[in-house]
Amino acid sequence: MRNTRLAAALVAGAALLAAAGCGGDSGGGSGDGPVEIRFSWWGNNDRAETTKKVIAAFEAKNPGIKVTGDFADFNAYFDKLATEVASGRGPDVITLGGAYPREYGGRGALLDLSRVSGELETDKIDPAALGNGKFDDKQFGVPTGVNAPVIIADPVVFQKAGVPLPDDATWTWDDFVRIATDVAKKSPKGTYGVADPTKSDTLDVFSRQRGEGLYTPDGKLGISKQTLVDWWTLTTKLRDAGASPPAATTAELAGQPSPEQTLIGRGLAGMQVDWSNQLGALRKASGHPLKLLRYPGESSAQQKGMWLQASQVYTINAKSKHPKEAAKLLDFLVNSEEAGKLILTDRGIPANPDVLEAILPSLNEDQKAQAEFIDAATPTMGPPLVIGPEGSTDTPDILTRLNDEVLFNRKTPDAAADEFVKQVEAAIQ
Amino acid sequence: MSELGLGDIAGSAGDRGAERRAQPSHRKLLKSKGSRREDRAAYAFLLPWFIGMAVFTLGPILASLYLSFTDYTLLSPPEWVGLDNFQRMLDDTRLHKSLVVTFEYVFVSVPLQLSLALALAMLLNRGVRGLAFYRSVYYLPSLLAGSVSIAILWRQIFGGDGLVNQLLDVVGIEGTSWIANPDTALGTLVVLNAWTFGAPMVIFLAGLRQIPASYYEAASVDGAGPVSRFFRITLPLLTPIIFFNVVLQMIDAFQNFTQAFVVSGGKGGPVDSTLVYTLYLYDRGFGSFEMGYASALAWVLLVIIAVLTGVNFLFAKKWVFYGD
Repeated sequence: MRNTRLAAALVAGAALLAAAGCGGDSGGGSGDGPVEIRFSWWGNNDRAETTKKVIAAFEAKNPGIKVTGDFADFNAYFDKLATEVASGRGPDVITLGGAYPREYGGRGALLDLSRVSGELETDKIDPAALGNGKFDDKQFGVPTGVNAPVIIADPVVFQKAGVPLPDDATWTWDDFVRIATDVAKKSPKGTYGVADPTKSDTLDVFSRQRGEGLYTPDGKLGISKQTLVDWWTLTTKLRDAGASPPAATTAELAGQPSPEQTLIGRGLAGMQVDWSNQLGALRKASGHPLKLLRYPGESSAQQKGMWLQASQVYTINAKSKHPKEAAKLLDFLVNSEEAGKLILTDRGIPANPDVLEAILPSLNEDQKAQAEFIDAATPTMGPPLVIGPEGSTDTPDILTRLNDEVLFNRKTPDAAADEFVKQVEAAIQ
Repeated sequence: MSELGLGDIAGSAGDRGAERRAQPSHRKLLKSKGSRREDRAAYAFLLPWFIGMAVFTLGPILASLYLSFTDYTLLSPPEWVGLDNFQRMLDDTRLHKSLVVTFEYVFVSVPLQLSLALALAMLLNRGVRGLAFYRSVYYLPSLLAGSVSIAILWRQIFGGDGLVNQLLDVVGIEGTSWIANPDTALGTLVVLNAWTFGAPMVIFLAGLRQIPASYYEAASVDGAGPVSRFFRITLPLLTPIIFFNVVLQMIDAFQNFTQAFVVSGGKGGPVDSTLVYTLYLYDRGFGSFEMGYASALAWVLLVIIAVLTGVNFLFAKKWVFYGD
């Protein structure tokens, strides 16, 4: 008898556990307790520490709201987010970037921010950056800050090699190849002139300089086959000269996105293509006074290839149960000096000029360098970037695969260019 | 992964029940005076798992069967498209590549792993002192290898600056990054799988112990050497166990995900050289939001595994010797 009773108790307990597992949110939380919202972002531990401080400051000001932070590294972040949003349990405030706002907004997953305009002000934000969160005439996101694609150079590596830093106002792509080769030749083994520069952002710069662009405004592929062939001809030249690392090293680096694992972050490369807001993290990782340079070929280009864009975009989940509270948090993140002073330039140069002014005195050397670079480069920037259409978030993976095939000599630049056009067109329909 | 209908196959491949089923002769002893009350208690104990199975495994399996006939992008509701997903597989070159990678992986790593397991089981069966200790030590990798941490360790060992290259450096050979070279990346996964020989080894060991010592004594008296004793006594009497291990490990290898995911940085790279089936499936579902297509892929994998297991059983009649 005792056995059966025990069994029944165990069964009941297990059933309860299972039920609890399925049932989760029965209440809805409209009671008197604090409203709970979730905020997600990607990045390293430093960013997480900062963001936690910002959350604490926000909670202190808004006692009725409790914020849970949720972060992962860039590669893992989007896999996790897709699953969560699909299951209807996505975070309330979501950090997105690049083509992702359109990917999510176009599928109805993001809140039209005009519906929470009472809580969230956007009139002070830089219009060009604000445009990166707007499409189909709806504002889906607010920029975290402003950013530009750049070349990051390590003066220490240059100095050790006895090569002067390039003059970024006039240099051409030929200069770029020559200088990278020179640095590699005069550096110890294992130090390269430049990490393989093939990224979708670089292709954007390179093709914009020829009057093209990776995508066209009507959502088609804009880059021509010839431009792709020329690009891969250039990068294979870098590889053959030993200016960029062997294919296997490049392939390995592609799986390691964090600044600490990059070549320049380890002091093993003279240059690297990246985003301006990475300067601080990369300087910290390498311990070298890294410098921001403009892309080669800008002075002689048909049209300027570089651009300013929102480094990241804060959005609100369309299914959020507490859109007003989420909007309050978003407003605090982009418009309050208090948050600005904590975040500084980690998510780009603040797009709200009042916030930028307030934080200027507290910026350290790295951050000032970034702000100055953006300030100086703004007048010479090209037209606003055409954000990729739905499906274009596949492009970086397609590019990595084909780039590996080119670098491992499994495909000619010509064949890879054909394949790139075919695969990207299929991804964006 | 159970949302994709993989939960079912994962469940059937559990090694835990293996040792018990490996000894079919004991099965009949159980049905003696089992009273009905005890039966009921047993079912009551099993109930939570039945419920769990129905809710967390069967439900998702059925859902994925439905989804495999739809176009489902996660964010908008699924749309019925009939057999489109299956038709698309015929022209999907990445899928074809991933099938080649998967078959290569399975047909190289499973024999390698089982040979290692058998060799070590024979070694341990010679009456080594502290057998229990060695058995545990060699079993350990099987428990650990599925974990993310071991996969990360693997990445480190076979990476450009990894242990393997440092050792090669000592003898003057310059290695490449083994995990990032399309010619060697899959090899590192094969080695990782072979390293998990512990589970089949324990089963082999149990099998070896059931072979009566008198057979060997008789053979020795007739002048049989160690080689012919192995091929004429050990191997034939062990065929049921070998068969069991082959079936189990093959099913397991077809579903390798964690290791390939972590070692390749989540993309099956370089150049899709480690794009095993489940990784491609995951990439379609969670990388490109093509849940309908991913579900269809999951069902095709189920069919592939089922067919190959069927073939295994069919051929088993030709070579498995049950001694009766």
